[in-house]
Parts: sequence; C-alpha cells; structure tokens
Amino acid sequence: MGRYASDPEWASIQPIPLNDGSETGTVPLATIAYSDEYLEATSYLRAVMAANELSERALQLTEHVISMNPAHYTVWIYRAKIIFALNKDRNGELEWLNGVSLKYLKNYQIWHHRQVIMSSRDHFPTLPPKEMDFLMEMFAQDSKNYHVWTYRHWLVRHFELWDSPREIADINSLLNSDVRNNSAWSHRYMLRFGPRNDQPDGGMVNADGPPTEKGRLAVVDEDLVDEELQFAQVKIASAPENRSPWSYARGVLRAAGRPLSEWTEFARKFVVDKRDDQGQLEDVEVKSSHAIEWLADVYAQDSTSDQSSARDEAVRMLNLLKDKYDPIRRNYWDYRIQQITSGELPAAA
Amino acid sequence: MAAGTLSAQKLYSEKHIDYVKKLDSRKDELEYWLTEHLRLNGVYWGLTALHLLGCPDGLPREDAINFVLSCQRENGGFGAAPGHDAHMLYTVSAIQILVILDAVDELEKRGLGGKQKVGSFIAGLQDQNTGSFMGDEWGELDTRFLYGALNALSLLNLLDLVDVTKAIAYVQKCENLDGGYGICPGAESHAGQVFTCVGALAIAGRLDLVDKDRLGSWLSERQLDNGGLNGRPEKLEDACYSWWVGASLAMIDKLHWIDGSKLAAFILRCQDPEAGGFADRPGHAVDVFHTHFAVAGLSLLKFEGIDEVDPVYCMPKAIIRKIFSA
Repeated sequence: MGRYASDPEWASIQPIPLNDGSETGTVPLATIAYSDEYLEATSYLRAVMAANELSERALQLTEHVISMNPAHYTVWIYRAKIIFALNKDRNGELEWLNGVSLKYLKNYQIWHHRQVIMSSRDHFPTLPPKEMDFLMEMFAQDSKNYHVWTYRHWLVRHFELWDSPREIADINSLLNSDVRNNSAWSHRYMLRFGPRNDQPDGGMVNADGPPTEKGRLAVVDEDLVDEELQFAQVKIASAPENRSPWSYARGVLRAAGRPLSEWTEFARKFVVDKRDDQGQLEDVEVKSSHAIEWLADVYAQDSTSDQSSARDEAVRMLNLLKDKYDPIRRNYWDYRIQQITSGELPAAA
Repeated sequence: MAAGTLSAQKLYSEKHIDYVKKLDSRKDELEYWLTEHLRLNGVYWGLTALHLLGCPDGLPREDAINFVLSCQRENGGFGAAPGHDAHMLYTVSAIQILVILDAVDELEKRGLGGKQKVGSFIAGLQDQNTGSFMGDEWGELDTRFLYGALNALSLLNLLDLVDVTKAIAYVQKCENLDGGYGICPGAESHAGQVFTCVGALAIAGRLDLVDKDRLGSWLSERQLDNGGLNGRPEKLEDACYSWWVGASLAMIDKLHWIDGSKLAAFILRCQDPEAGGFADRPGHAVDVFHTHFAVAGLSLLKFEGIDEVDPVYCMPKAIIRKIFSA
C-alpha cells in the first residue's frame, strides 16, 4: 500500500488514476512508465484538485509532487492558489523555493511562482533583504541563467532599483569573475540606460520612435556616459575578443546620441598597421576582430560624405574580417562590402 | 547510447524514423515518466520529424487525433496530457498536430465547442493593456506565448479574434540595441526569443519592422568554429539553435550569412547512428525535442532526403502552402 493509501489523513479521498489513453492503446507517444510513488501522489493530486480543496494537506501534497517533478506546471498553479487561500507565510514559501531552485536550475515554473508570490505589495512593500543574496547564490551555480536574470529584471522594475547600490555592485562582481557574462552586461545597460518607472518598459528607449531615434535618451548624463565608456574600455583591454563590452559601448554611445568615431583611436590600438621603411603597408597586427568591425563602421559612415579614402579603408577592414578574422561569415562581410562599394547606405550597427 | 559515436557525415533517416516511432516503448528509461508535462509537445515534435523524414504515416492517425482531443479542457484550451490544465504552449501543439493530420474539422465533430472555442481560449490570454500574451490564467508573460497565439490563430483562420496591432507593438518593444529580441521588453537577446518575435512579425505580415541587417549580423554571429550555433554570446552550441537561429535567418532572407555546410556537418555529428535520434551536441544522449529541431535545421539547409520545412510555422512546407492557399 502506498504512502497516501495507508495514511488515515487521506482516507476520505478517492484517488483518480491517470487516464492517458495508454490502456486502450490509443496513444502512441503518450505512454509513460511512471514510478509507483509518483503515480500514487498524482492520483491524489487529481482528486483534491477536482474538489478544489485548498488545505494544508493539499499543500504538502504539492510539495511532494514538485519534489519528484518540478516541471509539472499544473501543480504550481494549484500551489499558488492554496498559498493565497490559506494566507500562508510568504517568506516561508520563498525559503522553500530557494532549495527547489538550487536543485532544479533550468526550470521555468519556479521563477514564475516566485514572481507571483513576490507581486503582493501587502506582503512585500519593499524588497526583502535576502532576495539579492539568494539570486547571487543562483548565479554562483549558473551566472547566465536566463530565468533568474528575467526575474531580477522584473524585481528592478517592481521595486524601482535602477540606482540601488546593490545592483551595480553585484554586476561589477559578476563581471569581475567573468567578463564574458553577456547577461550581466545586458542588465547593466538596463540599469544605466533602460526606461524608468514613468516610461513603458522597452529594451530601447523610445522604442516606438523612428529607427534613427531608437536608443536615444531624452536627457543624458554625460558624466555617466563617460564613466560607462571608460568602464567598457578597461574590460576590453583585459579581453579584446570579448563581444559584450564592444556591444555595450555601441549601446551607450547610441543612447547618448554620440558617434562611434569617438572610439576610433581606442579601436586603432587593436588594429595596428605595420609598415616598412618606405611607409608601405606590410601587415596588420590584429588583437580584436570587434575593433576591425568598429573601424569599418566608422569609415563607412565617413564614406557617405564622398571620401573615397574612407571608403577604401572601410573595405580594407571588412576584407580583413572576411578573409582572415571571421571567415565563417564571409557572405555577411561580402554584403557589407558590396553595400559600401555600390554607394548604398552603410549598415553601421 | 550516445550521439556522435561514429564520424558520420551521412543522415541515418531510417534509424531516426524508428527512434520516433518507438518512443512509446522506451518506458524503462528513468527520465521518461518525468516528461508528462511535455506530452502534447512531444507528439508534435515526433510527428513533424517523421513528416520531414518522409514518413508521414509513421504514427497511427486516428490514435494521434484521439490523444489530442483527450487533452482538451472545458475552456477550449489544451493541456500537456489528459487532466492537465490548459496552457498556450500545448494548445498551439494541438492545433499544429491537427493541421498536419488534416483533422481540424475534428474540433467541430468531437471537440468541445469547435475551433471557435479554441480561438476564444487563446484570445482570452491577450493582455489588453500591452498586447502581449499570457501562457495561462496565472499571467506569466513570454514572447513564446505571443508567437504561439498568432501561430495557432492564423492556422485556424481566426486572427481577427485578437488585437494583432497591439501584439506587434509589444514585439517591437522587445527589440534590443544589438538587433535581437528578449523574452520581454528589456531582457537580454536570446535566439529562441528572436525566433518567436520574428515569427510573430512574419505571421502578421510585418517583417518590415525588423532591422534585418542588424539582426542578421547578430544571428550569424551565433555560429561557432565547430559549425554549431549558440543562443547567446559566449554560450555553448546546441543542435536546437540550428532551428531558432536558422529559421530566423531564413525568415529575413539571410540564411546564407552562416556557413550552411559547416552547420549541417555539426548537426550530423549530433545524431546517434545506431539507436537513432539527435542530441544537443555530439556525445550526449538523444531526445525527441532535439531530434525534431535538428531535422528541421537540416531541412532549412535543404539537406538531401529531407522534406522542406516552413521557417515560420516549423511544419512541413507543403502543408502550410496548402492551408493558406485554401
């Protein structure tokens, strides 16, 4: 006899067995070999759900089923209903969730459940003090976990944490341990340049505006912009082939409405022309393919003002990418070259 | 059994067909019973893979229809398996399966309230303020749900039940400065979410809103030296991104920006030449999810012996052509 069948507390419940069609042989892909423990627990779960029983024992049952299969989305919905109906301690629920989350890192349902619990302004008028500690614990397991980052983004908007010192401190710490963490760079951009509470949430400021206006802030703090550009340069110096800080810098300049050419000199440090005694180009020493692309974009923009030397330089840079530094995308680079040589508008990203 | 145990540059179609057909006999595998919450998705993945591999009758048609209908709930939506709550993701799979089996009329004959009821369930999940879609009554938002809604409704010819304009405005808000799209506005670009956003725009006939050069550049940058594609910068390759990235590139006519032969070779290294099926990467265990997306990825690359897939719907192209020309 199973755990529930032998428990007097559950004697009043008539379990509902699984009907997946397998007994009649109608379901080719749907037949599943269940463990007895799981089969019994879910048969009682079906029974209490059918009766919409919102009770302590049903809550325990959801915990049992989740411990065996946290991806069972229906059981999470039911659990949330019970938590609200019984007005259970929300902090206790979060504590319990912490353990489940650390055990099942790739699960969607856990994080949505956490957000459902955290959404109550009555229970959580401000951010609970340990919340960010726990998220850092999650990041210690997987610093690019998309569910956790999405949840953290929601927390920032919900509790208005853009300027919270903890946010930028955590981002700095994550980037110090892995400068290639694109999720952390993305979060940093959202903190610094993302829309605030009086604006619609959008990855880009003025997302509804015409393309030329996308990413432009209405008001720009130039000190902040300079600080962030400096930050990106330091990080690039430590790992020049890391895409993220180059993208970040593009975003910062775009938000500020400043041109890519501000960084020409900086990018040049990573693409050094070697010349012989007569000044003839012998070779190019390249420390970052992203710097080549940056220079190509700068020259391509200049080439629209009909400077053939700029156009030639842009094409030279793109050929470096095509032939040597990013040949797997040779068709893309060909497209860029063709755009410039045919005089079409350059695709400066 | 693991994938990639032979250096195979050949497609083992028969093995893959057998693998999918025999999924129901793998009951002794421990992780198998944990996937009940994906059951209806699993039927869609298996069925589509069989079609693309040239074995459209691989699953008994009547049985599959019966199973789909047994997952429908009172509210018109479908759960992952009988007795599970209705959810957008399974409702979409249900419709896709019925369309592939040319059995949408079964909704009128034997379903609960016909296709109109299914359409109402989906339409009821649109958030009137933002235009986005929830997965179920609990309000989780994800561009996957928005894409799913437009996918299923357009297949049912019921798009007018929702505010498409608002949905598209929401998708635009998910666009990031790198040209990619995230799970919600402001979230990091992710190739899976790019597929859902671009797919939604394609269904709505609004691909003109995509910055194709910028997005194409970001997507093509997902290819690694080993030929495989990742979903975000500095992440590992995975056979399923052959689909998310490849289909997105195909929708904006930039599939040639990646190296197709290198990608095909990578996908083939993910197959298990003995037991059939594909894994996420060479040497790993196979599953029906990766099998489906690997085969679909090869189809995008016009690999010989695989039927053409539709990049927007991830269903056999011939079926999509037929339904929209009717």
